[in-house]
Parts: sequence; C-alpha cells; structure tokens
Amino acid sequence: MSFTHLNVTSSFSAHYGVSHPAVLAAAAKAQGAHMLALTDRDGLYGAVKHVAACRDEGITPILGVNLAVLDDSGQSTGRIILLARGHSNGAGYAALCRTITLANQASRGSIGLTQRQIAHRAADGNLMVLVGGESDAARALAQGRYAQARALLANWKHHIGRMLRVEITTHLSAPGARYSLGEAGKMLRYADELGLRAVLSNAVRYADPDGAVTADLLDSARALHQLKDLHSFQPNGQGWLKSPQEMQQLAAAISRATERSWKHRLLKETEATARFAALDPLTDLGWKQPVIPEATVLGLHRPAMQELTERVYSAVPKLIPNEDPSLVEERLALELGTINRLDFAGYFLTVAETVKIITGMGVRVAARGSGASSLVNHLLGISQVNPLQHDLVFERFLSETRTTLPDIDIDVESARRHEIYRKIFTSFGEERVSLMSMQNAYRARGAVRDAGTALGIEETQIDEIAKQLWRFSASSFREALAEKPELAALASNITEDSQLDILIDATERLDRLPRHISMHPCGVILSDATLLNRTPVQPSGIGLPMSQFDKHDMDLMGLIKLDVLGVRMQSAIAYTLEEIARIHGDKPAVARAGGHQETGYINEDGHIELSKVPLDDAATFALIRSTHTLGCFQIESPGQRELVGKLAPREFNDLIIDISLFRPGPMQSNMVKPYLEHRHGFAPARYLHRDFVPALAETHGVTVFHEQVLRIIDTLTDCGLGMADVYRRHLGNPEKEPIVENIVRTKAAEKGYTQEVIDKTWEVLAGFGSFGFCKAHGAAFAVPTYHSAWLKAHHPEAFLAGIWEHDPGMYPKRLLVSEARRMGVPILPLDINRSTGHYRVERIFEYAQPAAPVVPRAPGSQRPGRYGIRLAFRDIHQMSESEVERLVAGQPYDSLADIRDRAGLSRRTYQNLAALGAFDSLLTGTTRADTIAHTQSMARSTLPAKYQPGPGQLTFDLGQIEPIKNTGNILEPAEVVRTELDLMHLDATEHLISSYQKLLSHLPITQAIELLHLRNGAEVLVAGVRVATQTPPMRGGKRVVFISIDDGTGCIDATFFDDTQQRTGPLLFSTRMLLIHGVTRRTGPRGISLQALNAWDLHQPETLPHAGYLDNASRPQPSYRPKLGNAIPGKESVAELAQRMNAEGLDQRGA
Amino acid sequence: MGMFTESIEVSRAANGMPLRVKWRGREYRLVAEPERWFERRKWWDENLRIPRGIGAGMADYEMWRLQLAPATGGGAPQSVDVSFDPQSERWRLVRIHVELARSA
Repeated sequence: MSFTHLNVTSSFSAHYGVSHPAVLAAAAKAQGAHMLALTDRDGLYGAVKHVAACRDEGITPILGVNLAVLDDSGQSTGRIILLARGHSNGAGYAALCRTITLANQASRGSIGLTQRQIAHRAADGNLMVLVGGESDAARALAQGRYAQARALLANWKHHIGRMLRVEITTHLSAPGARYSLGEAGKMLRYADELGLRAVLSNAVRYADPDGAVTADLLDSARALHQLKDLHSFQPNGQGWLKSPQEMQQLAAAISRATERSWKHRLLKETEATARFAALDPLTDLGWKQPVIPEATVLGLHRPAMQELTERVYSAVPKLIPNEDPSLVEERLALELGTINRLDFAGYFLTVAETVKIITGMGVRVAARGSGASSLVNHLLGISQVNPLQHDLVFERFLSETRTTLPDIDIDVESARRHEIYRKIFTSFGEERVSLMSMQNAYRARGAVRDAGTALGIEETQIDEIAKQLWRFSASSFREALAEKPELAALASNITEDSQLDILIDATERLDRLPRHISMHPCGVILSDATLLNRTPVQPSGIGLPMSQFDKHDMDLMGLIKLDVLGVRMQSAIAYTLEEIARIHGDKPAVARAGGHQETGYINEDGHIELSKVPLDDAATFALIRSTHTLGCFQIESPGQRELVGKLAPREFNDLIIDISLFRPGPMQSNMVKPYLEHRHGFAPARYLHRDFVPALAETHGVTVFHEQVLRIIDTLTDCGLGMADVYRRHLGNPEKEPIVENIVRTKAAEKGYTQEVIDKTWEVLAGFGSFGFCKAHGAAFAVPTYHSAWLKAHHPEAFLAGIWEHDPGMYPKRLLVSEARRMGVPILPLDINRSTGHYRVERIFEYAQPAAPVVPRAPGSQRPGRYGIRLAFRDIHQMSESEVERLVAGQPYDSLADIRDRAGLSRRTYQNLAALGAFDSLLTGTTRADTIAHTQSMARSTLPAKYQPGPGQLTFDLGQIEPIKNTGNILEPAEVVRTELDLMHLDATEHLISSYQKLLSHLPITQAIELLHLRNGAEVLVAGVRVATQTPPMRGGKRVVFISIDDGTGCIDATFFDDTQQRTGPLLFSTRMLLIHGVTRRTGPRGISLQALNAWDLHQPETLPHAGYLDNASRPQPSYRPKLGNAIPGKESVAELAQRMNAEGLDQRGA
Repeated sequence: MGMFTESIEVSRAANGMPLRVKWRGREYRLVAEPERWFERRKWWDENLRIPRGIGAGMADYEMWRLQLAPATGGGAPQSVDVSFDPQSERWRLVRIHVELARSA
C-alpha cells in the first residue's frame, strides 16, 4: 500500500514550510512511498535539493509550485498548485519554469498569475492544476457560501478543463474550521457533481507532528502578528507528511461523510496524477549534463577542441616566450588531453569569451582559485599566473577523476561589477544568462526577533537579547547562556521569567530556516538559449533576472556558473594606474616619478601594464618586509603584518607561502612555527624520506600546500596526481579517510617504504586534513598583493589616492590619514575650486621639505612632498551626490556669493563646507572663523522666486556688498579637528591625539614608531585612537581582546588577557581615545606588539595615572613574561595570531 | 451543554478508535461510530517549553465525540466530548451534551 503526497512545501517556502527537502524525502521513503512531490510557494527554491534527496532515497521526484491566483486588480483570491508533466523530455518542467518566471515578474506588485494566465499555461497539457484547500472555492466554503464555492469550481472547470484536479484535504479540524472534514466532504461532492476528478493531499508543511509549532511561528513571522492575534492560519497541527495508513484513514473518513465508494476512487486518482507528474531527472531535467552556449554565440567556426588548441598554442610565443618548449608541450598535452576527454573545451572557451568581454570594457580581471593551476587558463588570458613558473599542479584544478565542471573565479573591479553583468547579458543574449541567487537563512538575531514578536515579548527586552546574540547561532544559545559571563544577567532572568525560556526554544526552531533569496555576490549563470526552460528566474535587486537556484544546484542542473567577483582592490589599482598616467602624462615622466629602471611595462601615454611588471622587484619586497603594508591586498591586517614581519618575504614565492600560511588550519596546527624556524635557519629542515624532498623543499619540509599533499600521496602510491586529489578530498571525512589510509599504507608498503616512514607520513597527511591551502589560490592572491605593494613603493601618492577612492581595506579612512603622514604624502585640505568628487593627486608647488617618510619608497622614485592628495567632496556628512556634481560643474568660483548663486548647495552643506575651510582660498583678510560666523548668521540661501533675477537680468556681485565681519578670531586646532571628524570622519589637519598631548605631558609616552627599537619585555605607556577591536570567539576558555590603536606614527596592537580585562572593565569596548600600559612582545625582526596591563580613557582625565606611574611598585605586573632575547615567539603567540586572524574574518577563501 | 474537564478512561482499538469507556466507576460501550477532530491548542499560553523534538500534541488536542451507553444494565445513551493528551497519555472529559442526552 502506497500513497503519494502531491502537496508538500519544504523549508524553502520561506516563512511557511518547516522541513528540509532531504528530511521530507527520507520520511516518505521510510513510510514506503515510491514518489514524492515538492510544491514550494512561488518557486522552485527547494526543487534541486528535492530531486537530489529523492535520488538518494531511491524514490521518484515530482515537482510543482504553489502559486497565488490574482484577480485583475492584482489581489490574491487564493492559491493553487501546478504540477509538471513527467517523462515529457522536459516539456512539463520547462512549462513549470516559464510559468513561475512569469508569475514572479510581479508587474501588478504581487507574485502570482490570473486564472486566465493559468488556463493559457495549462492548455497544452504539460501542467496539471490542483484546486484545493487554499483556493477561492475553499475560501467561499469556509465562509458558508456553498453555492458560490460550487460556482467557483465550475469556473475552474471551464477555464482549465481536463488538466484540472480538485484537491481534497482534511486536517480533521474542528467543525467549521479550515480543512475540516465537512469542508473536504463538500469539495468532494461538488467535484463529483461537476464531473471533476479529485485527488487526496495533506497540504504538508512539516515532516512530522513536531513541526507544527514551528509552522505557527512562521505563520506569525509571515503575518507580522503575535500568535495571540493570529486567527486565519493553520487550524491545528495536522499538516505533516502522514503515512499511507493515516492517509487511507482520512480517505475513509471523507468517504464516510460522503459516499463509501469514493475512498478507492480518490486514492486511485491521486496515484494516477502522481504517475502523470513523475519525473525522470535525466530526460526531464537534464540532470548533471552541463550545457554551454551555442557555438555561434562563442564565435566558433570549427570544433571547440580544435579552436581551443589553436588559440592556446598561438598564445605561447607572446605570453611565455622563455619557458622550455618541451615542458610547455608536455604540460599542454596533459591539460588539453584532459579537457578533450572530459569534453570541456566549450566551457573553457565560454570563460575565455566572458573574460574577453570584460577586458574589452577596459576592466581589470584576475582569475582566482585553483584555475590558476592551468596553463590553458593562462594562455587564454583568464589567469595572470603562469603555473609553470610557480610549479602548480594541474590535477588540483581538473582531472579525469572529477566529472563536474571546474570552478573558474574571476575578480573584477568592484565599482564596475554591475556594468559588467549587464554587458555579459547583452553579449551572450538575455535568454542565455541569469544571475545566481543565494539563500539567506535565519541567523540568531533575526530568529530571536521573530520568535519574540510571535510570543508577544516586549520589544525592548527582545532588543536586549538580540544584541547579545551576535556571536553565536541560536541553537547554541542555551550553552552560550551557561558559558558566557556577559550573558549571566540574562541567564538568571530566564530562570525567573518563564517567557524567556520558551523564547529560546522558539528561537532554536527558527534558526537556520531559509528566509529569502537574494542576488549572489558574484555568480553568473551562462547557458544556451534553453536556459529559461531549465531554471525559473525572478528580478534581482539590480533588476537583472536571477535564477531561483543557488550554487549547490548548479552542477546538478547542468548550469555553468562563473564567479565574477567585485574586488575593491582591483578598483583601487585601476584608479591608481589612471592617476599615475594623468599626473605624469607620458612614459619618461612616469619612469622618473616611479624610479623605474625598466620601462617595458609603461605605455607611451603613461599607463602601466601591471601584468608585464616583473615579480622580483627589490623595493617592493623591502616595503613588505618593513610591515608598513596598510592598504596592501591581503597583508594589511594586524595579524598579517605580524606574520609578514616574522616571515620577511624576499621573493614572490614567499608571498604565496605567507598568504597560504595565514589560515586557521596552519595557524592552529602550529605549522607556522616550524616553517619559520627552518626558514630562518634556527633548525635544519627535516624530511621523513628523501623521496619527499622535491615536494617539500620550498617550504623547508613543512607541508603547507594541497599540491604537496598530492605529490606525497602520489610518491607513496603511484596513483597519479588526479587520483591523489580525490584521496586528498577524502582526508578528514570520517567515512572515507580510513579507505584512503588503507590504500596509502598498502601501496606504500608494496613500494618498500618502512613502517616508520609510512606511519609518520600518514600522521602528517591525516593531520593536514582539510587544513592546507591550494598553492594556486595563494599564487592568484599573491598577484594583487604584490601589485598593490609595488604601487605603494613606487607611486605612493597615486596608490593612496586609489585606496582613499575605493576604500578596499579593513581600516577606517582616518587611519589612512596617519598612513599618509608616515608616507610623507601631504593631505591637501578641501578647496572649493580644487577639490572634486574624487580623491585626486595634486602637484604641490610651494612645498616645505617634509621629514623623511617612515614608509620606505622605491630608490630613485619621486621624493616626498611634491605631490599630495586633495580631499574630495564625496565623503562629507549630509552632502548629496547631486550637490557634489553641481558644485564641481560650476567650478571655478570667485566669491562666496558666487558659490551661493551658482553651486546650488543646501544651506547645511554650505555651512559645513565653510566649517571645513573649503572657502579659505577665497578669503582676503578674514579668517575661517569669520566665514563660519558669517554663514551661520545668513538668512535662508534661496531667494523667493519673485526676488530671483530673471533671465538676462544681471545680478549684483553680492560678494562685494556682503561684508564679512573681521573679528580676528582664530579657531583652535582641536576645534578644527573636531569639525573634520564630525563632518568627514577624518582628522586631516593634525592627528586627533595631538590635542591630548598636554594632558599626557607628565607621563613618558612611547610612540608607535619608537616601539620597534625597544627590547622585548620593555614596559611602556602608549596613547592613541582605537582603530580596531577584535574578540575571537571563546571556546570555553578565557577571552582575549585585541585592540589596535593609532598614534599618528603607526599602529600599536595590544593584547588584553583576562586579568587586564578585569582591571579595565567596560572601557575596553566603549572608549575611543586610550592610554595603555603594557609590555612589549617582539614578534619578529620587524614586528612588535604589546601585552596590555592596564588602560585608561583619555576623556576621563581625573582617572589617568600620576607622574612616576611606571616606577610605582603597585602597578600591575605581567602575569607571564616572554623569554628575553628570544626572537622566535613562544607557542602562545602563534595561537593568538591564529585567533586574531579568525577574528579578523579575513579568511574568506574557499579551499 | 456543560463544559468542564474530568478524568475518564478510554481504551482504544489497534487503529486508534475508542472501544470502551470507564467513567465515574462505570463501564460504557459506544453505541455509534465515534467522531474525531483536532482542536487548536494555544501552546504559547499553556507551555513553558517547546524544545525541538517535543513531538505531537503541542498545536492541537485530539478530540472524540462518543455516544455512550452503560455496558451493563440500562440507562439512556449520552453524548460526550473527550480529549486525549499525547504528552501525558491521559484522557479528559471535556463536555457532556445535555440536549442530546435529554432528547435520546
């Protein structure tokens, strides 16, 4: 006995369904079902998961959708279900996709279709229409309007005809309620009277009865009402995936209320409908069969493989002229052979075509990820990295052991990302392209808010709880309550207030459920003209269509996805290159300014082609080793600066290693320390066997890269690198790792390796698990890292302008002011006639000789002080973009009155600009204070229309007759800085800390720049502005807080352990200006940080320590002291670094 | 119609259908096919905890309308509504339908 559920919503029906498709499929299988439908609301959001789960369970999937029916005014009259016809070579599924796309166009403001549209869509027999418990007919029944209900059903019959089924559902609710037995009986009776076929369903929202409570919570969240006020939602908790026995009983109950003989007919018709809709994933959905754009779209006039081969070979002389031809030949034979056997040539050409479109727009492109392992990618112009140069393993990217398309990710300039998307759409044709979507799930905060609202808990109380919830998932909330001291008050409330207890349970139920889809930050789907038969699309936030499928669905549905990721650093670099060409004008000038000995990479117009810049520039590595890497891609965070200081990179490969080491895995497994010890010669490199030397030599015997693991496995087993990559992926998988271990041990023993070597090597491999990093990723990342450092060393002004303009880093803009000072780059004040909407480099003619910059510059490059960066109008508080545009369009201005007349500024912006000194260059004899007073006292700036000059009428030059009172008042520097901070979030004139100097004059304050010269363990007082705070998640242990402050000479990173946190109390998180007492900890030749012992708030001068504090015997002492003179840090330091790195959240690179 | 709750014992058949009832010390038999429905239960008012996996019976009560006649001896049939709580596995008498009892 079997029963097929035709009406099932999963958790992908946001704010409606409760259970994941996999859970539903497993439950159906356990009940002995042969088929199972998924009919999510408004789309196929869970469809691919459903089909995959059904295949896993060995049952047949059915797909449909639950759609709103709209009247002509766009109001919903109810909901119906559409099921796709199966075994129709995709015709049914295509009709479903296109119907859903149409419904989601929402031209009337709501998602859904009119009855006429539905009729039209169902007319060719590819969609079955189920009209049931959510339909207009059922609504009428529930209101006791029986005749109308019958008429509505008749109307459906009229429109839909043979494709109509009446769906009978009862949740055995109380008589008169929705889904009552009486309602089901009446629906069935009308169906019979009208000669309509009827099917049985249970309108499933959850896999088992436990889900009913969650469904109530979702109803509440959807309606934005508390549960108490909900009336119209589920009448009880019977909407689960009932067993065949239970469904038979329901059929029996309905037939008792109608005709006994109808039970059998109802069940039979249900199974017949299920068979109509039973899908064959292969023929109906094109399951796992990649579809690439048509040859004509790619401009191919010969077979793809032939085209690919010729393109690749013809690029060799241009791109890699110096590589050994036999090596190139061997490598290309391997790569092209693999691509040919996998039949992926079209895919590579598709990616190449996309990159061509993007570079054709003049946009910077860089491939990231394992795609950098492929020489084909390099020769096609997809990747900038030459894999031969960095010894990258192609099999890590692609081999015949994998059947899915490889990922090729492309980084582009963030500022032009949307423009690029639109161009891809128009170039390939809109029917072939869609954006990918992503599922956004409930996180703890949202879950607690919606749960709290449902339960009617006071908003202020919910807010307080939500605020505490930002670090952990709701499902671990209860543990967090027991563990975290800052939640102690809340925990005790919960024991007192039972409402909070139920709130946590409710929060846990909502946590992780899907909420909505949104545009994926980088996924673009490319296909042939049948794309819209294979995925429904809906409008994205930027208007372009977006698929209802997410990244997990791509391979399964044969959809090709490119990650086109907007990277701000790429925009910053592009801007830098523009500025260099603009200010210097031609090749010789650029070469002079940058101190470039070689000039092959500089175009005649002064544009630098970064891809041609050699990767061995000494000045660039000197800059990196100085750890003054603020603004440099990937290596600007405190943790990375510490690591760079220890590692002291000398060549490009060191950068690859640095980036690869800076991950939680290597950090926590303590790979960093042995690597550094071997690197600096403190300990000789050791190898488990001399056969491993070729693989591990570059990292001194320490396993860092995936590529090295592949080579070790291959050495031990002769399995080939492709298979070795399969084994590598199984490491850390509890089921598959033992199989790999067995193979490795057996084969290695056969090859004659000793038991000891095998044991120890396996230990390394198993420990490596998923830790390591793909060297190709590291290499791809290292390119923009190197480029940004190269630009910073050679063209610091232009580089800094690029960083200001696109803000790619982790630090607030005001820290860049300090960096500018350290670089010897003057920040030029806002000027009504010289500033624009952008941060521009500007020649300085009357410059004063500045002090030597702290940040090293390339030898021979422009001396500091000749160029500065002009502040831009764009980041001024309350100044709109259109105001900036108007103001800049009207430049130059010759008087205040001229500005008032022509710039079209709001009164507030006018006053703000005055306060920031933007008008100072127009002043003659008066001060900025006078101007401010003048603008403040002014009447409303715009004259009433009748007093405004008419066309042709000359205006008086009001500047002459609007005298500014000369008071002789001069603004205090502190006042100027405060204004700058308020209006621009910058302290451009002088460092914020300067105004506190008097306050601290009695104390021996050490500056950041001096710290480096101190010995390890020196006791100091430092003062500065907080620039970063990081609190790595506690793992049951004690929390460590990292605070970075800036004092104008550099950044100081201070570590606060538990005892210091107790001492400092709340100011740790709330205070901006800090005085810190600490002990230096040397972290490397160029790295030093502080272990904080105490801290004070500079805004509370009465609390500051007295003179002689550092000699006071009662001052706090370090709880432990690092060993003096030990250049290599202790174990804690590496662990801290790992934690810090985690907290910085910088590791967003996929493995 | 009276409305109260009172303990009652109901024994069921394998398919869940009530068979016999013991109430106020007397045995009853069912004289008509019992009717079942599930009534909304306001768990947010009634429960202190709703952890995941708590199971059935949170969002509704299982209700049965039973036509009872004393198993032995005479007596008029009575119509009663009883509810079953799967959490405690207890039956409660919810209503006695006076009109039906009188008219029968």
